[in-house]
Amino acid sequence: MIPYHRELQLTIPSSAVKIIGLGGAGANMLERVALDGTEGAALLAINTDARTLAACVASDKIQLGRNLTKGLGAGGDPELGHQAMLEAEAEIREALRGCRIVFLCVGLGGGTGSGAAPVITRIAREEGAFVVVFATMPFAFEGRRRRDQAETTLNELAVLANALVTFDNNRMGELVLAKQGIHEAFSAADRMICESIKAVIRLVIRPGLINIGLDDLMSALRTNRSRCLFGSGIAKGKDRAASALRNALSSPLLDQGALLKEAQTVLVHLSGGEDLTLYEVELLMQRLQKFVPESAHVLFGAVIDPTMGDNLSVTLISALPEDSLAAAPRDTGGSSSDNSGRDTGDAGVAADNALDERVATSPAAKARRSAAQPAGTGNVALFTHEVLAETPVEVLDEGLAEAPVEAAPEEEPAADPSEMSENSSPFGQPFVFKPVKRAPVAATAPWEKPMPATMADSQDAEGEPSVAGLDAGPAAHTNAADPVTAASPNDPDAPKLKLGVKSQTLQNELAFDATPRGRFEGQTPNVVDGEDLDLPPFLRKKK
Amino acid sequence: MARSSKIHVGLEIGTSKTCIVVGEVKPDTAVKILGIGTTKTAGVRKGEIYDFPQASACLKDALVKAEDSSDVEIGSVYLAVTGSHIQGLNSRGTFRLPEGQSIVAPEHVEEARTIARDIHIPQDHVHLHPIIRKYLLDDLEHKTSPVGLYGKTVEADFHIVHGIGNRIQNSIALVRKALLEVDDIVFSPIATAQMALDQEQRERGALVIDIGGGTTDYALYMEGAIAASGCIPVGGDHITNDIHLVTGLAFSKSEKLKIMEGDASADPARSVGVAKLIDDRGFAEVEVRRSILNEIIRQRLEETLRLVRQRLPEDSVKAIGAGIFLTGGTSLMRGFGELAFEVFGRDIYRPEPPEISGVQASFKDPQYATAIGLIRYAQILETERAAPPGLFGKITRLFWPFGK
Repeated sequence: MIPYHRELQLTIPSSAVKIIGLGGAGANMLERVALDGTEGAALLAINTDARTLAACVASDKIQLGRNLTKGLGAGGDPELGHQAMLEAEAEIREALRGCRIVFLCVGLGGGTGSGAAPVITRIAREEGAFVVVFATMPFAFEGRRRRDQAETTLNELAVLANALVTFDNNRMGELVLAKQGIHEAFSAADRMICESIKAVIRLVIRPGLINIGLDDLMSALRTNRSRCLFGSGIAKGKDRAASALRNALSSPLLDQGALLKEAQTVLVHLSGGEDLTLYEVELLMQRLQKFVPESAHVLFGAVIDPTMGDNLSVTLISALPEDSLAAAPRDTGGSSSDNSGRDTGDAGVAADNALDERVATSPAAKARRSAAQPAGTGNVALFTHEVLAETPVEVLDEGLAEAPVEAAPEEEPAADPSEMSENSSPFGQPFVFKPVKRAPVAATAPWEKPMPATMADSQDAEGEPSVAGLDAGPAAHTNAADPVTAASPNDPDAPKLKLGVKSQTLQNELAFDATPRGRFEGQTPNVVDGEDLDLPPFLRKKK
Repeated sequence: MARSSKIHVGLEIGTSKTCIVVGEVKPDTAVKILGIGTTKTAGVRKGEIYDFPQASACLKDALVKAEDSSDVEIGSVYLAVTGSHIQGLNSRGTFRLPEGQSIVAPEHVEEARTIARDIHIPQDHVHLHPIIRKYLLDDLEHKTSPVGLYGKTVEADFHIVHGIGNRIQNSIALVRKALLEVDDIVFSPIATAQMALDQEQRERGALVIDIGGGTTDYALYMEGAIAASGCIPVGGDHITNDIHLVTGLAFSKSEKLKIMEGDASADPARSVGVAKLIDDRGFAEVEVRRSILNEIIRQRLEETLRLVRQRLPEDSVKAIGAGIFLTGGTSLMRGFGELAFEVFGRDIYRPEPPEISGVQASFKDPQYATAIGLIRYAQILETERAAPPGLFGKITRLFWPFGK
């Protein structure tokens, strides 16, 4: 019998998720993240400028270039930033040790951000983390030079990072904040980034009823040089499905959903209390269809989260290629999407490919892709797949192909024991990357994969820190997590499991108290200075 | 006949009533009101149309009445618009004369003007009026264009009124649907001020507050030119609604109670006893303690006035010399003058409800102030247009200074 531990949770321990703010802009984003409060992530500020660093709220701080810049900034010179970075490399490596997922927030164009970001990304990768970079591009008015610096770095990051989300400040300005002050504009931009970081964390950390993981995320973000489309909305009460969607679409990055028209892959993540009904989900998805082209690939995930109460939240994530940079080759890669559900990996894979040029490219990639899909459930370390690919791939693929996404896509295919066992043997060797202790495990791992619980065990055995484990993280967000958590993401029991998990307290939104409003009932509140003018001052002032 | 009398029509689609005033402007610039058509409005809330067909029907009704009473076939109107989306703001454009030129040329003034008008307004907003307030030549104020004078920098000070384009378009569409042309669109408080203030009062500084059914519009004049204008989406309807919410009475009863018994002054002597509405058979239908009723009304109006005060430029209230002019239906509320004095501490002028009815009486009725103001506006615009088109005239024509 395969032991199954119910108490095993799928979360990634907070210690293994790190949000790094690099440079001045990064520090600001980090500040916002800290203000909004993130569950389960450690914050790390890295900067050359000692003063800014001292003012930062992050618990961990690393100063770059102690000897080189002597506590001053990099002065807009990426070369200087790069040198300063190298000086502190050991320190940073130490800080990133053991991280599963690293979010790097950076404003490109300046010295520290542009110079150090690629190095940090590389170090994090080497330490075995899955790296998601949130980069802001400079405003047009900041000049050509900075733009060029930013572009150069962006290109490097595209190669190095697992996923890259780009926010163009110009876009921000024009979409969001035409009438607001610059201070507001920047903080709104930060807020937006913070929101998406949180959404990603939520997505990755929480196991879902219909699961969605980093692999899906990557395929939603697909292109490396892309503009991120992101929207998140929450609503409660009657008609909450519709209003949650409306709120999500009102995100400035989505432009009332108009921008989704061109999206090729859209990730939709639903989170609701225990009373979330199938009907609501259907309704919501139906409405969303109107905004998304028919041909678009919709990655759908849902989570039951008791702390949500009667709230329903929707998160939409997608990416549009910034002009013609749309990665054509990657798209072809996406063709693997033939298997209905999970074309998971392509983006991710692509990114990975890029990442290690050292790894065999094309064939391997293909192999991986196919492999990645079965990986659905995830766990399979992306890298391992290469090896896998050579033999069992086809089998896997077929199995996969049949599995419709909606129906707990991941599990089913994987669950097929026979196939899995076949794979098993190849599986053993594949851990190309630092296989470390993996080899012994391997034997068991393959067929256990279907059974999440065991998977966890196996990983445990491995002493999980190995890269492979890491990479797995992206593929199926959960398993990577850590031994404990690795469970079956799609397991039917998942919701129940979560019940236990969800103890993190989520503060409920304070609603306007539902005072009757007479003839102004149902209209948008007429709010001035925080007071609803439609309510009698006689009643308001008494309180 | 070089100058014949001309007929103008002012149309105000208010929250509580739609009002059309037909006026004849005599060659000697005297205005004679020929007729008024007014009807209760439906489909307008807080100054903005939310039910197009209903509002349209009301407009047609008012139109028929106005044509009947004035015996004039109405083809085009001046339209007053309001709504909380409309705002006024001041903007100054500065132009430094190029090296070697010391005399201000028309194009320099034009440039300063362009700069002043090129303000950052939200994308969906459009300019309603750019009103020139004054020019400055090397920091010295000039009332008129300083073309031909010596100086280094020319500045043009504008008051710019802007609002959401689509909503304004919808108001126009409503009028067009009644087969009327729109001669011009005017922000309500600016039209009201034409009627309420004379030149001297504008010079000394005056504030017009027009409290209507759904909105409170205000326009501040300082030194002969408009200094601030705007709209707060609170009006008489809110008082009725407040009474309804606090006492639980039906709207119709609340409205009646407000009109018959309400008092906005904080005078305790007027808050003694019980306010009653007597029905046809002589029974008291409704009884509400006056202290509560008056308190509800007073708090609402006080808050509204304070909101207006907040939005005025700092220290401008002290500079109001002529006083504050209250108009609009809600300004008929008893005790409102005292309340306004308490809030602003300036002289308060308030129209008295007319004792007699009939067309003449409408002059005095604050409910028609805006529509009649539109006729004045049209008249001034007309004389500006008739001015000989010299170079100077051309410019003033484009930017008619409402300060005049």
